[in-house]
Amino acid sequence: MAPAMLTLNNIRKAFGELVAVDDLSLEIARGEVFGLLGPNGAGKTTTVNMTVGLLAPDSGTVVVGGGGSPTSPAVRAKIGVAPQALALYEELTGEENVVFFAKLQGLSGRRLTERVRWALDFVGLWDRRRDYLRTYSGGMKRRLNLAVAVVHNPQLLLLDEPTVGVDPQSRNAIFENILALKEEGHTVVYTTHYMEEAQRLCQRVGVVDHGKLLALDTVDNLISDHGGKSVLTVEREDGETTVETEDPLAELNRQQAQGPLLRFRVDRPDLERVFLNLTGRHLRD
Amino acid sequence: MSKVIALAIKDLRLLFRDKAGLFFTLFLPLIYCVFFGAIFSGMYGGGGVSGMDTAVVDEDGTPSSQLFIQTLEKAAEINVQTADRAQALDSVRRGKNVACVIIPKGYGAAMAKPFWGGSPTLELGIDPSRRAEAGMLRGILTQYLYLEIQKNISDTAKLREQLSGALEEVRASEDTDPVTRGALMLFLPALDGFLGSLAQAKDADGDGDGSFAGFPRAKIERIDIARKSKGPLPTNAYQVSFPQGVIWGLLGCAAGFGISLVVERTHGTLVRLRMAPISRAQVLAGKALACFATTVALQVGLFLLARVAFGVQPTSVAMLAMAVICGSLGFVGIMMLLSVLGKTEQSAGGIGWAVLLVMAMLGGGMVPLFVMPSWMRTLGNVSPVKWAITAMEGAVWREFTFAQMLFPCGVLVAVGVVCFTVGVWAFRWTEEG
Repeated sequence: MAPAMLTLNNIRKAFGELVAVDDLSLEIARGEVFGLLGPNGAGKTTTVNMTVGLLAPDSGTVVVGGGGSPTSPAVRAKIGVAPQALALYEELTGEENVVFFAKLQGLSGRRLTERVRWALDFVGLWDRRRDYLRTYSGGMKRRLNLAVAVVHNPQLLLLDEPTVGVDPQSRNAIFENILALKEEGHTVVYTTHYMEEAQRLCQRVGVVDHGKLLALDTVDNLISDHGGKSVLTVEREDGETTVETEDPLAELNRQQAQGPLLRFRVDRPDLERVFLNLTGRHLRD
Repeated sequence: MSKVIALAIKDLRLLFRDKAGLFFTLFLPLIYCVFFGAIFSGMYGGGGVSGMDTAVVDEDGTPSSQLFIQTLEKAAEINVQTADRAQALDSVRRGKNVACVIIPKGYGAAMAKPFWGGSPTLELGIDPSRRAEAGMLRGILTQYLYLEIQKNISDTAKLREQLSGALEEVRASEDTDPVTRGALMLFLPALDGFLGSLAQAKDADGDGDGSFAGFPRAKIERIDIARKSKGPLPTNAYQVSFPQGVIWGLLGCAAGFGISLVVERTHGTLVRLRMAPISRAQVLAGKALACFATTVALQVGLFLLARVAFGVQPTSVAMLAMAVICGSLGFVGIMMLLSVLGKTEQSAGGIGWAVLLVMAMLGGGMVPLFVMPSWMRTLGNVSPVKWAITAMEGAVWREFTFAQMLFPCGVLVAVGVVCFTVGVWAFRWTEEG
């Protein structure tokens, strides 16, 4: 495994009686796209906030880039964050927003100009750069949120629910952006409660609920370990039959041999099923 | 420092794009300065006195009444419009004129009898809603009436003619009591004799035309207290209105930037700023710098306008710069304190403006301190507004020395430091606190 870009060692954070993150440990390799999957309130955003130094863990440590706490501005400079809450200035143009945050990251002069152009191009907003943010659609604002996060070419990118409330077109555009970042070798931590996003984008996924890490592995391994069997549903004139099977094709042949089928459906295990099996409830509960 | 400047520039951009905020911060103070300067322009000289619109009715129609009207027309205190009685009364009723002056029949005849049987009378009608001007107008008319009488008795030949007429009337009068009659019969010929000998003496000297220069008249002469007396006074109403108007700009900046910190917190941008590689101190320094730059620019702009358009010449530019900088420092601190007064934009705005309005009321930002009772002026010492106005006035017309400037400026800087420190200490970086 490549050297770690982010290490969380037994971090814990409580707000009064509520334990938001409970003894969470992770090690994310350089160049990895890592998914943190869990329902709302699972502790994903609190984990991101501790990773970027906004919150101090009650116990445990956060190490970024092999040696440094994010409470230090120098370490934070290695991180790019697209927060879940859109935190941009409505009365500035798209370009002014990106330029402003790039300056806070220490960019200036020609490099500032180049990186701002690259970031706006990257998210497909160059042509709308001079429009005020208040005129942008929700999806465009999410894309600008991403541009602000990547403008300084961070080593570690934290994307907290980056597709919440966006239209399918913008969602696809964001997926394309993340895949491009993956190709370029960026380390990405992607929090979501959409299992299809984690399944599509992430090499490894950590499943969290009530602040605890329930499982951590590649998507295939999680499914194979916690997803259970495929479910074959066949429909005949006399009714419907559901069968759990590890080999849906063989089971389908066996069912067909027993008599003619009107229709059939195979439900393969996915991360939703993994979460259901691990917690007893659905991701969107 | 470049990051602090980037933060400040962002805030200035946001200010200039918020049209309502810009109005309250920049244009409302300007309106205040000009409006109140214009209203009080007659109080301090320099700005000129605007005359009271007055309808004048000549029912007498004699040369004396016409001369009186000509005198009134030349008077700066009133603007004369001649009319008949009905028109004049109607114009006052409608509020078109402040008052009407009617010269009734018999005015000219009475003026011709200054010693016996004459009493020139005027009728004065005043708009009931303008009672404050009634006394002033009565005084002005009395002044010009006596001026006319004096003109009458300044002509020796005319005066002797009037004396002769009066003497004949006294002799012919049978119902006058004997004592008064006897006194007049002694006094009037004696005066006639005095005037005759005076005319002869003047003619013998060859230095006059035999006219009598008149009895000595009481005079009220205006003294330029600003330069000669115990303390300076403003010579132009705008010298008073501009410092007061500037205060509203300072209050607007403090409220606007204080509320913008709350907005940054509630909208989440403050959290995003903290994710950037900058310290909390830099975030607040950026806001403070933007507020400071705006307050300085506002004051410089308004005082330049005051100089160019309204003739407000500061007695010391260096002292004014000192007042501007210290005032800005004070209100930057107040801005920081206001940002901790409310959790939401609405509560911060409401509480913030309530506090600022009390400061303005006590400190002379609404009503000049000199019209307040003494206990309220003393209470005003607790308001930074008072010290900001004092510092500005010290540089504009009070002719403060550097040592005299130190106290108000020191108070402002101290207020700024204390408020900023308390504000930073109490500041909530997240909505949760």
